[in-house]
Formats: sequence, structure tokens, C-alpha cells
Amino acid sequence: MFVLLVVMALCAPLYAKHVAHTTPDRNNITGKVTVGGEQRDVVSLDGIPIGPTWQGEYLLGADQNGRDVAVRLLYGARNSMFIALTATAITTILGIILGLLAGYYRGVVDWIISRSMDVLWAIPVLLLGVALGVSLALGGVKLGPLELSGDSLWIPTLIIGVVGVVYLARPLRGEVLRLREQEFVEAARAQGASGPRIMFGEIFPNIIATVLVFFPLLVANAVLLEAALSFLGAGVRDPDPSWGTMIGEGEKVIITQPALTIAPGLMLVLTVLSLNVVGEAVREAIDPRARVRLEQ
Amino acid sequence: MARFIVRRLLGMIFVLFAVSVIVFGIFFVIPNGAPENRMAGKQSTPQQIAAIRKDWGFDKPITTQYVKMMEKLVTGKNFKSYQQQRDVYAELREGLPRTFALAIGAAILWMAAGVALGVFSALRAGKKADFVVNVLALIGISIPVFWLGALVNHYLGYKLGLFPNGGYVPISEGGLWQWTYHLIMPWVVLSILFIGIYSRVLRSTILETMNEDFVRTARAKGISERRVIVRHVLRTSMIPILTLWGLDFGLVIGGGAILTETVFDLQGIGSYYADSVSQLDVPPIMAVTMLGAVFIVVLNTVVDILYAALDPRIRLT
Amino acid sequence: MRRIPPRLVGLLAATALLGFAGCGGGDDSGGSETTAAKSGGTATGYGTSFPDYLDPALSYTVDGWQTLWVAYTPLLTYKHEEGVGGSTPVPGLAEELPKITDGGKTYTLTLRKGLKYSDGSPVKASDFEHSIKRVLNLESGGSAFYQNIVGANKYLEGGKANADISGITADDATGVITIKLNEPDGTFPFALAMPFASLVPADTPFANQTKNPPPGTGSFKITAVDGTKGFTLVKNENKPAIDAIPEAKLDTLKFTIVKSAARQGQDIINNKVDYIIDPPIGEQLREARVKMKGRFREITTNSTYYMFLNTRLAPFDNKQVRQAVNYGLNKPALARLFSGLMEPACNFLPPNMEGYEKLDPCPYGDPNGEPDLAKAKQLIQQAGATGAKVTVWGNDEDETRQVTVALADQLKAIGLDARPRIVEGSVYFQTIGNQKTKAQAGFANWFQDFPHPANFMFLVDGASIQETNNQNFGNVNDPVINSTLAKINQNADLAAVAPQYAQLDKRLIDEGLVAPYGNRKLTLTTSDRIAFDQVVWHPLYNVDYTTFALKQ
Repeated sequence: MFVLLVVMALCAPLYAKHVAHTTPDRNNITGKVTVGGEQRDVVSLDGIPIGPTWQGEYLLGADQNGRDVAVRLLYGARNSMFIALTATAITTILGIILGLLAGYYRGVVDWIISRSMDVLWAIPVLLLGVALGVSLALGGVKLGPLELSGDSLWIPTLIIGVVGVVYLARPLRGEVLRLREQEFVEAARAQGASGPRIMFGEIFPNIIATVLVFFPLLVANAVLLEAALSFLGAGVRDPDPSWGTMIGEGEKVIITQPALTIAPGLMLVLTVLSLNVVGEAVREAIDPRARVRLEQ
Repeated sequence: MARFIVRRLLGMIFVLFAVSVIVFGIFFVIPNGAPENRMAGKQSTPQQIAAIRKDWGFDKPITTQYVKMMEKLVTGKNFKSYQQQRDVYAELREGLPRTFALAIGAAILWMAAGVALGVFSALRAGKKADFVVNVLALIGISIPVFWLGALVNHYLGYKLGLFPNGGYVPISEGGLWQWTYHLIMPWVVLSILFIGIYSRVLRSTILETMNEDFVRTARAKGISERRVIVRHVLRTSMIPILTLWGLDFGLVIGGGAILTETVFDLQGIGSYYADSVSQLDVPPIMAVTMLGAVFIVVLNTVVDILYAALDPRIRLT
Repeated sequence: MRRIPPRLVGLLAATALLGFAGCGGGDDSGGSETTAAKSGGTATGYGTSFPDYLDPALSYTVDGWQTLWVAYTPLLTYKHEEGVGGSTPVPGLAEELPKITDGGKTYTLTLRKGLKYSDGSPVKASDFEHSIKRVLNLESGGSAFYQNIVGANKYLEGGKANADISGITADDATGVITIKLNEPDGTFPFALAMPFASLVPADTPFANQTKNPPPGTGSFKITAVDGTKGFTLVKNENKPAIDAIPEAKLDTLKFTIVKSAARQGQDIINNKVDYIIDPPIGEQLREARVKMKGRFREITTNSTYYMFLNTRLAPFDNKQVRQAVNYGLNKPALARLFSGLMEPACNFLPPNMEGYEKLDPCPYGDPNGEPDLAKAKQLIQQAGATGAKVTVWGNDEDETRQVTVALADQLKAIGLDARPRIVEGSVYFQTIGNQKTKAQAGFANWFQDFPHPANFMFLVDGASIQETNNQNFGNVNDPVINSTLAKINQNADLAAVAPQYAQLDKRLIDEGLVAPYGNRKLTLTTSDRIAFDQVVWHPLYNVDYTTFALKQ
């Protein structure tokens, strides 16, 4: 099912061009559309957008700017996938590195990393996400040669990626602590292998299983966090579509056009559910005891 | 043990300090974020801006400003928001009962429902009922709370009129019934996710515990299955759940229910935070994050200490 | 429902609005027959958010002013009438309009005798100076209006609350108040009528008094301020006997803050609440328009919504490009984004303001019609600007975000490569008002502070360009406009200089220095219990609560 969603997201431009005949950004406020042989306003004089037409154009209706919701939904899927997968990749890489360093070297390194994790852990994820989302979006990010505009998709990506590290680094650290006392590590150390070598050559292969168990769940969490941040106005910004912002916008006209709220939400639930099912399967297969504590 | 506790307390203080520095830093570096320009209003004059800078100490170096902010935060004296010069602690006092009401009700609900479902599905492990509960739990943790809230609000609240369409009524104004009536939907919506998590966690711990020696012994002694489950298995399995419960409760009190609060218009701590961030109003932002951090850190520490006290096998690190 | 961004009620844009007779309720003011109403009783109201302040020295939003206006009175004030009748300053606590001498630099007024505050204590002439001091000392958003007073800047910079403002002298025995200005200023009588200048007792502390509003001299007094959740207006039994301050018809008007627009709409439609401040949204607005006959009307306010075009930056340093934008704006489409609560317009000045002369025909075609895209594209091509990159700035507040997205799309349609850039509402004006941002174009709006064209023209006055906190977002710096404004802004006889303001308005549009697209409409919505035809929509302060009365 997740694969299906990815395929749908990839096909978004084809759908936009050949079925809906529009782009995700094109406004059409005063336009009309023929539904069942009848001319109807895309956006009424009262500013209320058209509901689902169940035909090529405006399949799921329009938003207040007269943009095609179905098209934006598919493009939103691309943004969601991009952010969630990239962020999880960041989380995973950082999590592995920090987990290895803290678990292997212990002492001061461990203290610094663990306390940093404690600090991150002490701020509710959403509060931190919203604060970072709002402040970074205002100024953009400048890190050496890397320069991000305030409305870049990379900003929520980085935030979600960094915030997620706590979920992964802690359990990995525990695992590394356990592994480093094992015989094969002792053996490698006796042979004079360097620290990094032991970490990546000996210990790393043994924590891959844990990482695999976490991966789908982290992606699911990233999708939800992205949606929540966007819903609160601190994530993806217009004109880029996002399911979270679409729910927020839809909510304002939920009385007339509930489809605008329901459709992006269903996409979210399906995506997250499919990821959770995958995660469940991986967990059953690899390590039934692993538990990921994720929160909203 | 005493040394362990002292160390944990010191750790707590360090974490809180770091949190305050981070949050203060996040909002200090924003370009165009100078609060005096915002406070001066649309028709500002240089003299007015200069006066604001002086009055609020914005002309001082960042360290001085941080120290001043923390001093106000701790003493509560003259601790006002930038935007409408409202006393931050007065606002918190208004928001806390609301958030507390939400958190308490939801926490009881998710605990009760989570335990019931967890036990139920563990006892029927592998059967159809277990499968159904499992699927429901998976769906529960996959639903974004703000979406569910919006739909429930619309269909049950607006369309059917079964429940009020959001809002909060203090007991002092509407009595116990109105208070409960307004909170039922938020409680349920906020609980769904946690029920999903708890039932699954409890199910797996129960299944693990059932295979432990002491349970087998109990069974061998001929104690009834029901008694084994209640007296032995459940008692042991509840420890991780109670831990989780303590942590999640702290999280929700500390502003973690921001989505539920905004969707249901409860105007608690979470909504206060959301409003303050959108206005880049640093004093309330600091106050809410620190409050949240205190709840989380204290509960974490309490849980750790209790754990260590209960289970001598845990290394005191 | 409230999320980030909250539905801020023009926190930065001081909002005071001029009524426009003719929209539904306008014909009621003819007064052929009125509903029998009783005096006394209690009514309820909802607001979306708590007013910024309930302290006259500090409040700078229409939500605040709407309440403060009926609880406090300045030396000058406005009649409680609709339209033009309510938009000229009349004596309030002063006996007469000020005597202006010394080439427009000295104002002399006399306080009425025997005035009392709502707590029964006497009103003194020196309370005026105290009130102005509070505005300055609290660094209120209203400071700018009084910094022209001699010694005001010195007082502000000194930072001592009890210091003297040398330009104000007051004699408590005779009630004579003299105000000296640094420069003549035609808008100063209007500043004297602003809620900032309302008199409060001399022992009112130099601190925000929202929790416990000071006694005033209005028709109501503000009581029972419940944090940020609500407040109550109670009839003032010590109301001074002044024509300009009418007797309140209600005994009590109780406000509750309800953030959910859906819940507000539901309750007003079902008569569970008597009045809502903000317009219903979405379907409920449609329902109100159709079903709420006799308790709903729409009023065009004295406000202008426009796109600023930065005349210092390419491509808008080119007149042809700016004109092309004006040709290309689809104003009816933008009006739909405001749920129809916008009147498409061509002028920069809003209607029903002195100095407004409708540009008819509009040089860029009927504002209610289709845009002339062909002409716009042609001009862009002539200017060689096809495909020029443009960032259209806007904020994330309701409607503004959608409008910004639509504006960018409309620029795309005429051949520019435009992309919207949405920032947080609270720092939006600060961001585009900073020259370093180099904002090319974007959303802007203005609601009048007082009914004087100068209050709009400062937005396009070369003299008001600043490095930061700039309000002339487009850096409009036209020599003709600058020199004319320098002259006519000083003239206190508005009627005499009004035609010159009209000429400037025309020039702005002809040169394409701004791209206005409409005037905002607001709504008056009450329950069936209120005698709707007697409710006055005041041009500055919107709904006049003194005219609320329950039906008999």
C-alpha cells in the first residue's frame, strides 16, 4: 500500500496534465466548470469553493483559490514523502553516529550526548517543532555555503530530522553499551583495531536490525509531525501543498465542503497506517521486543 | 541511593538550564524579530522605539537580557508579555486548569481503555478478537489528532448536535455536568492515540510475563487462571505502563496537547503557546516551555528513582 | 477555529472605519418607522479574541476602540451617527472646538464644568495632561500622534513618568487647557478625538490597566474583566449630561471570547447570543445573507487593500510594469477571497472620506469587470520585463494568505515569474518595512485612524520613507506628491484642501505607484431580540453599543 502511495505521488504531474488539465499552483477563482452539463462556479461569490465533481477536473473539488484539490493532494503526497524520507534519513544517520559514539566511548562523550538528548527530550516535540518552524522560516537558514530560503521544504525537513534523533539515539546507545562488552569486540580491540573501525566494522552491523525496526515507524512519525506542524502553520508554506495545511484550510469550510478536510486526512491516515503495518511486520520478523515511543 | 538522587537532581537543573538557553536563543536570532519594532505599532517614531528599548532592556547585551528574563521567570515579578503586556503567570493560571482538566480526564480514559483492551487482547492472543483489537490499535495510532478532532467536532458537534462545538465551561460557571459535557469529545480524541499505544504495550508485556517462571509456578500450584492473571501477571506488567503514563501525563500538561486544545478551542496552555509563538512573544514562550520541561523532567526523574528503589538490579548510573 | 495563525483583528492596522450608507441597512437610517424598544435589560456578545487592551492609553485596534469609545470620552469626539454625520470632530468634554492660533501651532480648549467620572470623582483639566503622559510613558502605539506637542519628545526620552510636558498647560480652576505644537498639523483635532486622548483620573497608574480599567466619562463603564475570557459593559449612572454622549439603552452588555467562528455563527443564527463582532464565515455567512433578514447588514469601511510595488526595485521601477500590474489585477476574483466582503475599487483613498473623488472611468477598466490581460502583457513586453522574477510578500493570516497566492498567480498571468512568500503575520509589516528585505511587491492594507485623507497619504509620502518600520512599503517618492503633501497636511481646514488630496489620489493611480483593489466590508449581525433598525454603525468605531436596545 505504501508503494502504491509512492507511485501515486510520482505520477502527480501526469495526472495534473492529462486528467485535471491544471497545475498545483494555478488559481481559478472566477472560472467556471461544467459538471453534468451544468456550468458551475469554481469559487462562489461567497468565496465557497466547489465540492467533489467526480470527474477529471476538480475530482475532489477546489480550494478557496480555485486550485484543484486532487492535484494538490498528489503533489502534497510528494512533499510529505520527500520530507518524511529525507528527515528520517537524517535522523537515522545522526542517531547511529551519536548512538555509537555515546555507547562506545562512554565517559565525557557519552555524558555530552546523553545530556543533549535529555534536553531535547524535555521539550515537548511539537512545542520545539513549532518554535523552530516559525523562527527559521522567518530568516531562512545560512550554514556556510548552504543557504535556504524561509519557505524551503528543507526547513521542516531538517527540524523533523533533528527532533527525531532522540527516538533513535537512546535505544542505540543502550545496544552499543551492551555490544561493546561482547567477546568479538574485545577480540577486535585486542588486535589493536581503532575506535572508529570497531564502531563501524564490528558494532554497526549488529545494530542494523534495530535501525530497521525503527525506520518505518520513524517515517510514519515524520509524516504525522510534518502534517501537525503544517496544520499549525509552522511547516510547509504556501504555495507548496501539504496535507497538514490542506486540512487546516479545509477546516474553515468544513460545514459546506467536508471533502476538503476528509480527503487529505484520509491520505494521511492511509500513509501512516501502511507504514505502521510495515513497521509491525519488520518488528515481528526481527525483534519482537523493540518498542518505539513516539508521540504527537 | 542518596548520591543517585542528588545526581539526578543536578542533572535536572542542568537540563532545565539548557532548555531555557536554547529556547531563548531560538527567538533571539530572528531577523526582523526585534520586539521593540513590533511593540511600537504601525505609526512608530524613533524616540518611541528608543524608549521601548530602554524600558524593556532590549539595548542590553544578550547575556544580560537572558539573565533578566530568567530572573523574571523565576520570581514572577514584572513578568509581562511583549505584545499586550499581560502578566504571564496570570495567563498561565487561567490556562492551567483547562489543560489540567483535559489531561486528567484523558489520562484516566486512556489508562482504563488501554488496560482493558490490552488485557482483553492478551487473553485472546492469536484469536480473531485479538486481531481486531490489534488492527484498531494500529489505526488509532495512525490518525492525526487534529484531523479526528475537526471531523468529530463537525459531525458530532455541529451536524448532530450531540456535543457542544468546542469550548470550555468552568465548573464554577456551568456546573459539573456542563464541564464534563464540553470535555467529553476532547478527552476521547486525545485518548485514542494513547489507547492504541498502551493496549499494544500491555499486550506484549503480559504475553512475555506469562512465560516467566513465577507465573508457571503459580499455575503449577493450582491457582485459578483468573487469579494468576490478576494477582501475578497484571501486577508485574503494569510497571512499564505506569511509567509511560507518568511521562505522557507530564507531556500533555506541559503543552503537548497543543493540537487538541486548538481544535477544540479549549484555550489552555497549548493554545496559549501557539498564540504566543505566532506573535514571537518570548516571555510566554519561555514560561510554557519551561513549565513543560519541569513537568517532563520531574516526572522522568521520579519514575527513574522509583524504578531504582523498586528494582535493585538497575545500576545506579 | 483557532490555530497559528490566530485571527488577529488588525493588531497593527489601527482600524477605524467609515460607514457607507446603501448596503442593506443604509436605508433604515431614513427612519420611516422604528421598532418599539425598551430601555434596560441585558444583552450578550461574542468576540473572537480579547481586545488588545482595555486601557484607553494603549488600545490601538478597532476591537478595543469600539468598547473604549462608549466608556471614555476625549476633549473632542464624534456624534453617534452613521456616515458623514459621525465623522467630524465635535466638542466632547471640551465646551467648544479648539481655538487655533499662532499659525496653527496653539490649541486652546476649555473643560466643561461639573463633570464627573463613573466613580463620582470630579474631572479636572490637569487630567488631560496625565492622560497624554500615560500614552507617552507607556510607549503606546498612539505616541506618534502626540509627539508633535512641544516637549513631548523630551518627556518620552527622559523616561520619568511625573515629569512635565512643557507644551501642555492646564488650569484646574478655570478648566482652560492650552496645547502648543512644534509644527502646524491639520490632523491634530482628529488626534485630540482619538481614544488615546480620553481623560482618566490623575491617579491612574502608569501601567496597563486592562485588568481593572480606570473610571471614565462614557455611557458605559467596563467591569468584570475576566482575564482574557470576557468583560462586561454596565450603564454608567454618573454619565455627564453632554449631547455627544448618549444615554445607554441597555443596563448590561456582556462579552465572552469565543475563538471558534463556527460556534459564533451557529449561536447568532440560533439567537443564543445577541451580537457577534466579527463577520460569520463560509457557509454561515451565506446563510446570514439569505436567512437573517432584518438582523444582518454589510457595510463598506474606510479601508484600502492594495498591492505595494517597490518603485526602487526592478521591475517595478518601470512605470509600464506598474501600470501593467494595475491592468492585470482581477479585482472581482480577490473579492471572492474575502467571501464577497470586499468592494472592488480603483482609487487609493476610500469612499466617504473628504478628498475622495471616484475615478470614473477608472484608467485600468471597471474594477468590477474582467482585467485587461492583453494590454498588461503588451506593456510588460514593451518594458522588456517578461519573465522577470518577482517575490510577492504576504502573511499567513486568514484571507491574506489566499490573497497573496492569488496576487502572485495574477502576476504570472501577465508574464512575470512570480512566487508568493508567506511569513508570520506578527512580523510581516516589520519584515517588508525593513529596506534590507528588499521586498519587491506584496500585500498591504490600511484602515483609517481618523477620517482624514492625510492618514492614508502618509503611506505614499516620500517623507515617511524609513530604513526600518517603514510604512511606505513601495518607497513611493514622487516629487509632486511630496511637495503637495508637505503643504496641505498642515492646513486645518480640510474642506478647503480636499480637492488637492483628490488630485494626488488620481496621480497615484495614473502613475501606477500603488495597485489598490478594494475596500473591506464588515457586517453587523444581531439576534432577533435587538431592535436592529436602531443600531448605529459609526464611521470610526463601528457598532455603537449605546444604540443597542432590546425589543419591547
